[in-house]
Amino acid sequence: MNMSNVVKLSIAVMTLLVAASPVRALVIDYDLARIAELKVCDDHLYRGRTEAATECYTDVFTEARNNMIRGQAAMGLRDLNAANALYRAALQRDPQSVLTRVAWAKLFVQTHQYDEALKLYREALNSDGSNVYAKLGMAQVYAERFEGAARKLVAEALQTNNQFIEAHLLLARMDVEEGRLEEAEKGLDRAQELADKQKLPPLEIYALRAALDVIRGDDVANDGAKWVKRALDYNPHYGSIFETQAHMLVMRRRYQEAADLLRRAVQVEPTLSSAHAELGANLLRLGLVEEGQKHLATAYEGDPYSITTVNTLRLLDRFNEFENISIAPQAAEVRALEMRLHRKEASALRPYVEQLAQESMATFAKRYRFEPKKAITVEMYPNHDDFAVRVGGLPGVGLLGVTFGYLVAMDSPSGRATGEFHWGSTLWHEMAHVFTLEATDHRVPRWLSEGISVFEEWRTGPTPGVIVTPDVIAALNDGKFLKIEDLDSGFIRPTYQNQVQVSYTQAGLTCLFIEERYGFDKLVALLMQFKRDVPVSTALKASLNVSAADFDKGFDEYVKKRYAKVLSKTDEWQQLYDAALQAAEKEDWPAVIEPAKKTLAMYTEHVAQGSPFLLLAKAYEKLNQPEQALQTLLDYRRAGGWDPDALRMLGKALQTAKRDREAIEVLAAAHYADPLNAEAHLQLGDAFLAAKRPREAVREYQVLLALDTHDKATAHLGLARALQNLGDKSASHRNVLQALEAAPHFKPAQEMLLEKTVDKPE
Amino acid sequence: MRIVQVLRGISIAMLLGSAMSAAHAKHYELIVGGIGGEAEYEQRFREQANQLAKAVQHASGDAQVTLLVGEKATRAAIRATLNEWSALSNDDQVVITLIGHGTFDGEEYRFNVPGQDVTANDLREWLQPLQSKQLIVLATSASGGALAKLQSEKRIVITATKSGGERNATRFAEHWVQALSASEADRDKNEWVTAQEAFDFAVRKVADAYKSSASLATEHARLEGKRAEAMALGRLGSLKEMPNDAELNQLFAERLRIENDFEAVKSRKSAMEVDAYYSELEKTLIALAKTQKRIDSRQATLSKGVGR
Repeated sequence: MNMSNVVKLSIAVMTLLVAASPVRALVIDYDLARIAELKVCDDHLYRGRTEAATECYTDVFTEARNNMIRGQAAMGLRDLNAANALYRAALQRDPQSVLTRVAWAKLFVQTHQYDEALKLYREALNSDGSNVYAKLGMAQVYAERFEGAARKLVAEALQTNNQFIEAHLLLARMDVEEGRLEEAEKGLDRAQELADKQKLPPLEIYALRAALDVIRGDDVANDGAKWVKRALDYNPHYGSIFETQAHMLVMRRRYQEAADLLRRAVQVEPTLSSAHAELGANLLRLGLVEEGQKHLATAYEGDPYSITTVNTLRLLDRFNEFENISIAPQAAEVRALEMRLHRKEASALRPYVEQLAQESMATFAKRYRFEPKKAITVEMYPNHDDFAVRVGGLPGVGLLGVTFGYLVAMDSPSGRATGEFHWGSTLWHEMAHVFTLEATDHRVPRWLSEGISVFEEWRTGPTPGVIVTPDVIAALNDGKFLKIEDLDSGFIRPTYQNQVQVSYTQAGLTCLFIEERYGFDKLVALLMQFKRDVPVSTALKASLNVSAADFDKGFDEYVKKRYAKVLSKTDEWQQLYDAALQAAEKEDWPAVIEPAKKTLAMYTEHVAQGSPFLLLAKAYEKLNQPEQALQTLLDYRRAGGWDPDALRMLGKALQTAKRDREAIEVLAAAHYADPLNAEAHLQLGDAFLAAKRPREAVREYQVLLALDTHDKATAHLGLARALQNLGDKSASHRNVLQALEAAPHFKPAQEMLLEKTVDKPE
Repeated sequence: MRIVQVLRGISIAMLLGSAMSAAHAKHYELIVGGIGGEAEYEQRFREQANQLAKAVQHASGDAQVTLLVGEKATRAAIRATLNEWSALSNDDQVVITLIGHGTFDGEEYRFNVPGQDVTANDLREWLQPLQSKQLIVLATSASGGALAKLQSEKRIVITATKSGGERNATRFAEHWVQALSASEADRDKNEWVTAQEAFDFAVRKVADAYKSSASLATEHARLEGKRAEAMALGRLGSLKEMPNDAELNQLFAERLRIENDFEAVKSRKSAMEVDAYYSELEKTLIALAKTQKRIDSRQATLSKGVGR
């Protein structure tokens, strides 16, 4: 993945995977001050006595005079419109009411209107700054959205009163999500004590305990059976006992197991819309589109408020705009591959996607000693919002690509501005995920899967070269790198703005460190440890014979040594960089050179937009020093730079210097950043032809035609020449005719036609 | 087929060099760079107008170009130039290109120049007396707002935007300039760039530019009028230097006949088997290629003669 864009991942990875928890059929209200009449109804509900609960809530709704209580009864009856109206009326009657605001906010949470809910919680806290329910409600929203602020609010609530079971449950939930299993267990013990003491329903405790067992691998074979039995004894229709486990497995990218659990969830509770929605999403991740669509439709019937469900159903309706291309396995070097590409660009993208996907499969199969057990599907979306909906149900997320096991979904190159996105590296990154996930039955920790994907981008991808941006150096300098056992939390619930990006790079550097210190085989050995559920410390000991603490120490020494020249002088680096940048902006080219060179002497891994390499190359070019410009661009490429304009400039410079072979390589590399540029395909086609590489030339001209170039005649003529060189006289002849069909006076084509048909009559 | 219509529309004589065409048909260009409001736009409009003037001179050596930029680009100067052209014959061709900012208030399009703006009504009124073939290119924002008022039987109108509502500064002018000098724009490789080819090329390049920056396209150019494919704007390659010669005229007439045959085969394409179609097409293409070879040979001979 393009590291400059990793920052855009932000918190999106986790939110999208969990798809913003749709309406839950059963919401437990732990408020001890809740009126007794409602508690009676609640008990029916929590025990699964739905009819009795409905009757009971109806009575309260009919008899109560207080709008707030009637609203709560309406919530129990699932009449959200009525509840909404009653809360509004209650607030009009008592505009200062904190309790009404908190109750109303819960309604908004259930209908996925998180911003509205937060607004009400904030208003409640403005009136009563210590209101624990408002804080916990707010924390719940943040937790749903995987924002780091959730923990702080829960801590504040517990400081006020540590008897709140909701607070302990929320913390335990976050702990399970983040893999802090010991802490989660302690939290659940405390919650259990409180539930027993306060006579509260233990269902959510059971659900989290079952999830904990499944994640630990203690009870994976029978779905946390002990806790499932207890929960279903308490409430035979409590589908969330399976849904919670599934949620935690989805977070660990174990989609197949999650789907199995979700099927059981909707079996015991057929009206559980959230489980239908999550099951639908999971089935789509597994490539089971038809079945997934059915569950999403069921989810929509029960929960029309879910934007994610609506968006996904709408996207599915447009799947016919995509072309499905299947490559059957042939010999050892061609593996099964499915491509779903948009019809408008399928012909242009297919050759590159297919080639890169096959190369990546061959590379990773060899390096990680794992053969895919079925075809890998690659989907590319020209509309970024379609991609975002495909992977998470919500438009607007900043992701570039997502892997769900054997399914890779990503932005098409046309989905983003040229130079913003290296689709080749993104595909390479995602394909590495397929191997690390499948080789470990999806048990690989997030940091290791991401780390290997980043490491493989650097080592074997289309833009080899370690790329570390200045903000990562700053994070390292500020001591923000996480210990190996905590590294997952940097991806799941970041606590500062660019922590996800920093975590990606740290994970990549970790793999680089393992390769350099222990050898690449040990990295593979470490990965394979995660074929079963083991803590990171155990895996490190077994594969590298090192404790987690010693590993952290070694890694710390490694990165500090690697970046020693810049770490001690980050301020100086910044000043030099700013000086070079400002000089370039003022077009004072001589003033660019010295500071740019000095920054590069300190570290060379900043090759993203605004790289000192690019400033320096531009300065040399402007100062008419072509050799230095050429050398700088070569260094830039060697360091992992991939900006397509810079590569094409380099290609041109190499052609001028008569270094045609290198020029071709560079021009071809630019396609993996910007594959839909017609002019570049023509240029490269001609270069391949001149270099007597007709097969590659054919590909370039064919893509040019697929791009519906304005100048079809030139493309057909190039194709005719390349096909002639390949000995395909018939196809070559037809292309000459097609060139002249488009442009009958095209002299080079006329000459070729006359050469071919010298004996034919007029 | 474009080349056939070029030949029919402009006459073979016009293809055969400046001496004859000067006697019967002339090519006039008015290029105006409007005011930019900001230094960046000011410079851009001026540069584009200058580049277009150079490209026109280069591509059409006999064109009479009037370039108005900066303070000279006034309403009065534009009006005066168009007024001068009222005496031109209907064989002549005039091209008016306005580069800069345009506005549309819902009723009237205005091209921003120093002093009083030029409106679509002004342009319609000033162009009305002209007998010549006309192409007007409004490479400005909101130019689509002028489309309806400027349409006429004798006129081709190109606007950078589809309506007056597309108000952002446009990229059309940059690519229109490029079209007059790029062999890529000459889609049928007949060494003429027609108004239709230049328009198609510029539209494609504008779309590519927006796509490349992944930004929403805020301009959608429009072309209204007949026979844009027959209106030659610039000549490329060997056609630039064509002497008048009886043998050459005969060869061009022969070429025209073959082109008609070629067109006839193409028109039957959908009704024919693919192989049969290309086989038929090939016969005309071979004939065309051989005739072209003779044309080239004759031109080379004449060229040497001139040299001696």
